[in-house]
Amino acid sequence: MRPVHQSPAPWLLVVLLALPFVASNYWLHVAIVVLMNITYTVALCAVLRMGYLSLGHAGFIALGAYTSVVCSVRFGLSPWFGMVAAAALCGVVAWGLGALTLRLRGIYFSLAVFAFGEIVVAIARAFDWLGGPSGIANVPRPSFFGIKLDTHFSFYWLAMALAVLLVTFFARLEQTRFGATLLTLKTEPGERLAESVGVNTAAHKAACFAMSCAAVGAMGAVHSMYLLFVNPQVFSFLMSTDLVIYAMIGGTTGFWGPVLGAGALTALGEQLFSVGYWKTLVYALILMGVILVVPGGLSAVSALWKREMTPRGGR
Amino acid sequence: MVLPVVSASSPAATAAVMLRVQSVGKRFGGLAALTDVSFDVHEGELVGLVGPNGAGKSTLFNAIAGVFPPSEGRILLEDRDITGLPSHRLARQGLARTFQLVTLFSELSVLDNAVQALHRHRAGRLVSGLLQTRSYREESARWRERAREALALLSLEGLAEQPASSLPLGQAKLLAVAIALATEPRLLLLDEPAAGLSHEESSRMMDLISDRVRGRCSVVLVEHNMRIVRRYCDRAVVLQFGRKIFDGAPAEMVNERAVVDAYLGTGEGA
Repeated sequence: MRPVHQSPAPWLLVVLLALPFVASNYWLHVAIVVLMNITYTVALCAVLRMGYLSLGHAGFIALGAYTSVVCSVRFGLSPWFGMVAAAALCGVVAWGLGALTLRLRGIYFSLAVFAFGEIVVAIARAFDWLGGPSGIANVPRPSFFGIKLDTHFSFYWLAMALAVLLVTFFARLEQTRFGATLLTLKTEPGERLAESVGVNTAAHKAACFAMSCAAVGAMGAVHSMYLLFVNPQVFSFLMSTDLVIYAMIGGTTGFWGPVLGAGALTALGEQLFSVGYWKTLVYALILMGVILVVPGGLSAVSALWKREMTPRGGR
Repeated sequence: MVLPVVSASSPAATAAVMLRVQSVGKRFGGLAALTDVSFDVHEGELVGLVGPNGAGKSTLFNAIAGVFPPSEGRILLEDRDITGLPSHRLARQGLARTFQLVTLFSELSVLDNAVQALHRHRAGRLVSGLLQTRSYREESARWRERAREALALLSLEGLAEQPASSLPLGQAKLLAVAIALATEPRLLLLDEPAAGLSHEESSRMMDLISDRVRGRCSVVLVEHNMRIVRRYCDRAVVLQFGRKIFDGAPAEMVNERAVVDAYLGTGEGA
């Protein structure tokens, strides 16, 4: 196994901690959205690295968001409880869905989880109790030791803490023996060989998928608290594809790939938001450019660079 | 187990039975690929599973290796019924295999391939892994040492840092055996380990299997090269049309009319 990478965390953490004291509300809003999308993308990448293209992660974000909103609005429970319940439910549902669908490779898996995402959104749209097409408004925000997180400044800390926790989790997961085993499942021969040396590949894949979906579910809950509402449109299929685009552009491996991809494009997307369709156009053009020039994503550029700079054979 | 010893002619018949294949049959739709095949593999034995193309060798191999369950019969590993167990559970019971098409963790280094093969010993402790505790890291270092030992068994230790995908076929096939051996099996199933290799590479492979692998576990070798079976195997089991037609010392194969007709009659292979 590889040695533990030098952690990029210290200075990045300093930036994240200093940001709310220097940034305006607008930039704090951008930062919160960026942090949420980075978390979604990092969690998605755990599944992508295993060789599975999930086009249904928005469905799990929606499931998390709706779970937490139902807990707080319909049952009057604490938003904190809603967040934990969202993660738990998404993990359990993903485990079940994964056990059924991770046997399928390639397009079949992608379409199966895509269908799941559509089902979640369709159910939310169909039942008035879940808000129907217009969704549920007046989602309460949580309090932290008596401080209600109802400003950009205060909410930033929640989004940032959860993002750091989850991103760290997945970065560390890659360094564990479990994470190394997940990487060997990427191809069918690799999976067969892993199975032959005793890896319960079905359980490994389901566990990885469940972790990924529990993470996006928890962040989905925070997402709904930030927006103060949920509706079926927010978590559409396009959100799933956006996450895949972030991962493809940034690269799925290592710490920086998904972080850079999601960070840069989300910040850019927020800038392009006012002009609507420009966002789609710019994303599409960047994606085409990256796929043609650096198929491994932006993080592959630094890997290429490193390979050039490192003397061969050394470690 | 009160069962008659099926193959009395084996020189190792007195040793403990490692693998017992009991009246195994396999049908694919209307096609009987295997019919009533029984044989034993004793502890420390190197058994060649021989037969012309389409004789059912691969079907039998796959049935033992848990790729699919047999339609009839039972398979016992050290008296434990392993019929129909999935392959990851077989690995934990002490059964390892190689693949006819060389299969490696191609994106990993040679050493990491062997490290992955230690899975059944080193799995677990995810929380310690996430925290990267000292004991977890020390344990990982120990597994790397053990993986190096597994590579050394097949004289691959000098290639430890190479990417597995860069190995030429001969060394790739040795690595495949090293991976299987690193699981510390009681029984090793090898699917044509020498196929596709040059004469020298093939001799080297078989010498290593004979000298270094045999002492560690029982081996079943699927092979259609009769010379290899005669030279290296303790015993040969010959299949034709899905039935066992011979079970005994390899040197006696050529005296057996059925084997000559089925297999050698068409020219002695290589």
